[in-house]
Amino acid sequence: MAEPSTNRLSDPRPSVADALDRLFAPRTIAVVGASRTKGKLGQAVLALLRSNGYQGRIIPVNPSGGEIEGLAAVRTLQDIDGPIDVVVLATPVNIALDALEICTRLDVKVVVGVTSGFSEAGTDGHENETRLRRIMEDARFRLIGPNCEGVVRPATNLQLTFSPMFNDLRPGPVAMISQSGALAGLMALRLGERGVGINTIVSSGNETDLTAADLLDYLGGDPQTRVVLCYVEELRAGRRFAEVARRLSQAGKHVVVVKGGRSRAGSRAVRSHTGAMAGDDRVISAVFRETGIIRARESVAAVDAVTALAAGRRPGGNRVGIISVTGGLGVEMTDLAESAGFEVPVLAETTQTALSRYVPFYGSVKNPVDLTGVVLANPTYVGRCLAAVVADPGVDIAIAIITFVPDQQFIAALAQAYDGTDKPVLIVWTGALRSNASGESLRDRAVPVYDSPARAASGLAALIPTHGEVA
Amino acid sequence: MTPRERLKHWQRAGREVIHEADAKDLLAQIGVPVPARDPADGRCVAKLCHDAFPHKSDHGLVRLGLSPEAARQAVADMAERVPGGTPLIEAMEEDAVVEWIVGCKRDATFGPIVLAGPGGILVELIDAAEIRLAPTDPQTARAMLNAGPGARLLKGLRGGKPADRDALADLISRISVFFAQNADLISEIEINPVMVRADGNASVARCPVRPRDRGGETGCRIGRAG
Repeated sequence: MAEPSTNRLSDPRPSVADALDRLFAPRTIAVVGASRTKGKLGQAVLALLRSNGYQGRIIPVNPSGGEIEGLAAVRTLQDIDGPIDVVVLATPVNIALDALEICTRLDVKVVVGVTSGFSEAGTDGHENETRLRRIMEDARFRLIGPNCEGVVRPATNLQLTFSPMFNDLRPGPVAMISQSGALAGLMALRLGERGVGINTIVSSGNETDLTAADLLDYLGGDPQTRVVLCYVEELRAGRRFAEVARRLSQAGKHVVVVKGGRSRAGSRAVRSHTGAMAGDDRVISAVFRETGIIRARESVAAVDAVTALAAGRRPGGNRVGIISVTGGLGVEMTDLAESAGFEVPVLAETTQTALSRYVPFYGSVKNPVDLTGVVLANPTYVGRCLAAVVADPGVDIAIAIITFVPDQQFIAALAQAYDGTDKPVLIVWTGALRSNASGESLRDRAVPVYDSPARAASGLAALIPTHGEVA
Repeated sequence: MTPRERLKHWQRAGREVIHEADAKDLLAQIGVPVPARDPADGRCVAKLCHDAFPHKSDHGLVRLGLSPEAARQAVADMAERVPGGTPLIEAMEEDAVVEWIVGCKRDATFGPIVLAGPGGILVELIDAAEIRLAPTDPQTARAMLNAGPGARLLKGLRGGKPADRDALADLISRISVFFAQNADLISEIEINPVMVRADGNASVARCPVRPRDRGGETGCRIGRAG
């Protein structure tokens, strides 16, 4: 399409894909509410865009004009020459609505509404919501939000948000859609700590226009995406969301969803058995299971699940081999694995013989393997034992449990064992991460590392979600 | 009238709940086997169906195990007590091995869904129904019958005869397709119990004959007001 020479053009409303293409690779971003005053949302948006190295054109919009963060500000959106890919609204609600109305007359592709004060504010926001909906009827752009924290694209230095929770993320196979910006922040930070890369985060807010279903379709279809992690409270366009998820899971991708507000169904008036038995939450669990969506009970369990799935290794079955430098943790891991529907079978004779070279008589080589503290004498022993267990034809998934780590060689040996297999490997590392070794070589490989057997069990459950739900 | 025309007709007539006799006519029209009407001999069930009394047995509007003659007398007595009802005399369905519930409704999030699980009075005891998006094909319906605790019931517990799961799956699929095609007109449809005969007996799943006390009901609700 030829670029228009003016910003007053009546393009038809862009398709979701066209709009999101522009949103994620914008040439021009106008920040309404850009400010010099620290603590204002518009100031934070501008500062984060700049500090994260966004290379396109940024236009601060502020009625007093002048220069903001070293950029020439315009007094109103109408003063901008040429098309605007993205307009960010980061002002109080009345000013935001005025700006949105102006956007209907300009060549704008996407508006990101950070501003709050709409339906989420209940009766107080009702008037604003009504006006918002009326404006959107004439819109030739698409809207993210309002009441959202924005959009973050770690691979392309696009940080379109006021929240500093999304700094320093590494790019990778996970896309995130969240109706709550704060939960997106929590999950992104936790994933980042584990070395799990994220290609995109969209805080979808109230979803007045673009819904989680639209975003799932777009982000799930991205070849970079292996796992889509969603936090939703109200699933709008639920049918389409389910159908898109079904298509993605059939294509070998994973969709992990935390559905907040699950306890509302109980108060429903009951008129029939079908009505009573098919309560809202039951239906959500059933449809998620039917369409291949992994339901996580809460956000940290979701992070555990995504950590395991992002590694991109699929188990051939449900047999788990567990090695541990301590008996107790191995027993706990075994209990949790079995109650999640996994088997912890006795290892093959040849595997047991191989392990016997490292394990003293008071340990165990059967499964769970109790290596005992003796293996810490040589930094490579645990890595070698992991390699032996993962090579057992009767093992589909290996879990290595370590406590404190004596030195860097120890971690290197584990990383080597991980590289030497295609089977899923989970590591439980209970010691302080600032012990005598850095986990960087594990993070670089996105090896799933957990701080307790319970967290690892959540990751394990996601690999074969028999119950469709990860606790 | 096609089933859809019939639904529209009922809607125009201001009916919100469709009683069992009419609901069964509708089900028969979409290929769901229902008990024989007005049999000449054998044991019968006598009912008086009325939109205002979906729980018939609570109002003494169901009598079981009657001769055809006694059944006619019974519905006449009921009609005197409750004017405006529709009499229904059916052959009693006595060779079922399992009772199932099959229902569809419009879910606020996902639209049409179908539910199936152990029915009859068992709905009071266990909530073991499987739920899927509607419409569902016979293979998916079959998978519903292989999932959850109900699967063991259908296979036959402790030497019990296995139920005709193919016939039941076909019924679930048919109802789900019909419901999904007409979900703008029906808000909910429920058959409880579906009387399922033994497998390998040239059998078919049958629609209910015996609504239980506080247990089963068959009928549908129409209109968007769900």
